[in-house]
Amino acid sequence: MIFSDSFEFTCPIKTNSGKKALEQLPAELDALNAKKPLVITGKELVSKCVIKKFTKAFSDSGMTIGIFDGVPENPDWKLIDELKKAYSEKKYDSIIALGSGVIVEVAKVLNIAVSLNVDSRKIAKDPAVKRPLNPLVVVPTAAGSGLETSRFAHFQGTVFSSFYLMPALIILDPRMTRAESKEEMATAALAAFARSVEAYIAKSKNPLADAYAYAAIGFVAGNLATAVEKPCNKKSALAIANAVAMSGTAMSNTTAGLISNLGQVLVEMFQFPYGIGMGICLPHILAYYQKKGGYNIAQLLLPLSGPDLYAATPDSSKTDRALTIVGGMLRELYETVENKMPKTLKAAGVPQYMLADILEKLSLADDAAFDKEGYLTVIESAWEGKPVA
Amino acid sequence: MLLPEYYEFCCRVQLVAGHKALERIPALLADLGAKKPLIITDKGVAGAGLITIVTEAIKSGVTIGAIADNVPPDSDLKVVNELAGMYKQKECDSLIAVGGGSVMDTAKGVNIIVSENATDLMKFSGAGALKRVLKPLIAVPTTAGTGSEVTLVAVIKDHEKHIKMAFTSYFLLPNVSILDSRMTMTMPPFITSMTGMDALTHAVEAYYCLQKNPLSDSHAYAAIELISKNLLTAVKNPTDKDSRLAMAVGATLAGIAFSNSMVGMVHNLGHSTGSVCGVPHGICMSILLPYGLEYNMHKSEKFIAELLLPLAGPDVYSKTPGAKRAEKVVELIRKMNDDLYVATDKRHARCLKEVMDRDGKQMVPKEKLIEIAKAALSDPASAYNPEEADYDDNVMVLEAAWEGKPLDRTKIKKG
Repeated sequence: MIFSDSFEFTCPIKTNSGKKALEQLPAELDALNAKKPLVITGKELVSKCVIKKFTKAFSDSGMTIGIFDGVPENPDWKLIDELKKAYSEKKYDSIIALGSGVIVEVAKVLNIAVSLNVDSRKIAKDPAVKRPLNPLVVVPTAAGSGLETSRFAHFQGTVFSSFYLMPALIILDPRMTRAESKEEMATAALAAFARSVEAYIAKSKNPLADAYAYAAIGFVAGNLATAVEKPCNKKSALAIANAVAMSGTAMSNTTAGLISNLGQVLVEMFQFPYGIGMGICLPHILAYYQKKGGYNIAQLLLPLSGPDLYAATPDSSKTDRALTIVGGMLRELYETVENKMPKTLKAAGVPQYMLADILEKLSLADDAAFDKEGYLTVIESAWEGKPVA
Repeated sequence: MLLPEYYEFCCRVQLVAGHKALERIPALLADLGAKKPLIITDKGVAGAGLITIVTEAIKSGVTIGAIADNVPPDSDLKVVNELAGMYKQKECDSLIAVGGGSVMDTAKGVNIIVSENATDLMKFSGAGALKRVLKPLIAVPTTAGTGSEVTLVAVIKDHEKHIKMAFTSYFLLPNVSILDSRMTMTMPPFITSMTGMDALTHAVEAYYCLQKNPLSDSHAYAAIELISKNLLTAVKNPTDKDSRLAMAVGATLAGIAFSNSMVGMVHNLGHSTGSVCGVPHGICMSILLPYGLEYNMHKSEKFIAELLLPLAGPDVYSKTPGAKRAEKVVELIRKMNDDLYVATDKRHARCLKEVMDRDGKQMVPKEKLIEIAKAALSDPASAYNPEEADYDDNVMVLEAAWEGKPLDRTKIKKG
């Protein structure tokens, strides 16, 4: 265990995971002193069946909840203002985000608006959040990216970063976390994996963030194959949902590196999901880090393979072994989804002439390690699918 | 990575660790909207010069409302009320608790009174009676062991009415815990070894007992590695600041792990040994830990075996055959106790018969074991132990721990 001689760590999230976790919600809301939650979800984004099961779990509690199920794929500021109006008129005191991805982004931004009583224009102008917000509960579905539990929110080009944005509670219920398709499961797992790996090998790592990253990597390594093969399998889907949630805490407490910065740039430029971009780039970035040195890739072998193989592998071979395992996991994943997911940026539809633009956008990210030539090599090899030279 | 059918995990306390972490307090208070803290501590902590270090570190950034150093070793309602009065009179807006468990409990009690404007603390006792955010509380632990800087419980005693009030609420959690190597630097070797083994026990029990979960596991795992690598160094070289910081972080990780997973027999028998004979908690933990592991080995061998890696590193782990790893863990923990016995000039007791009070008198006479075994049956920690221990089992384990002889595992009734 290594840590730099000073660090800070924050995770205000309580995790309830497993069978009948949803039924705990009324008691948990009471502990947060929340009496009247507004549920935010999207009919187009979350299956009807999930919404039905969610409301059913509430039906015996006697609690009044409001439901807004109209979050679209591309929500705008107008929606935030409308929801803010409804929230204050009906005197809600907390928010439950039912779903992942954009639903949680809306819930986080709405929480800023209602807790600080500011309208959308003001939020966009001054995105700093400096005091505690009202309770936010997240009940994620399988389509997560790790950002749900993070201190970040991305909305209409504005990036928010504050530990106050993290939910107070996350409910991981096996009835909610099964995936609709192999690709959906694979995309979520890849996002969680890439973010956790980045946190675990980071130079600025700390033992608390490590504890989350370690568990997340272990869950992905142990469950990826089954979860993607059978996206309806409750147990493996729940394990991946745990990993996704943990990755958000890990990334919130370590400095963003090439993996998440490149993932973000690709999302912004080409709109494909986090897991796709980060999944494509991960092996190339790890190969680049191995060449560059200074990243603790060898240590990854422990959560990837378990203690026996880790302890039996000589130190000098641990890095190679870890990279071989990562490579094998990804290969198997792409085979299982029958190549319905792109393995290269080229296959994902990124035109070659835009690689320089990606690099330029990457240079704007606050990445102390920015290395123009090295990063370009990574992007080029991720485009073509060739190992880093 | 094991996924239980259901689990909960929560640690809402912000952690700030470093050799100069205290200097962050003014900015942290400002983030919480506070600038005039009341510092709560005890005479021992103040006498060791720790309050001077704290005030030097923060005085340029905040106005110190007052410093109260009269917290008794056992929390006392009278003192809680008195300090709440001081808080109001000096118009403080936040609390800094510098010390161990009793100081933390007292500060939490004061916080309830000043935040709720309460006259009767009893009204808020029990689980979940607090309904809103309290005043900002920053915890500065001075022992690397108890983990009370991350727990949501407070126990306040009313010595006049002879009652013990317990409070449980997320709102009682400190907002921030400061882990600064300077706060444990003056801790004597004997206390360092005892509190360090206390922390190790938290982590080990969190890992092999029934309510373990993936996050309590990963916190426990990291704690064990930090403690096993740094405890002896901190005992032998008290001013080694890196091992002091590593111990503080390890103890906090262990505190987070066990408060999210519950503990088992070692705590169960330890609590009873403490209440019957007055033996300090950390001593009970370090002595009983190997026996608790032996007693539960047939149920939890797999988990205990896994601990060999963080405890001893990859070389020892890979050279020890799978079937021998759990036993090796017990052997190594016994060896830690032996090494600490030597390093503390025989003050770190290895078995119950070696525990002496200040006057050199034996604290646990053998005839008391029966009473301890009985008391343990009603301790709540017994519910989470992997094997169900009855009175005879408790006696058997206590007798072995008294003599310092490994448990005869063939005699354990396997349920």
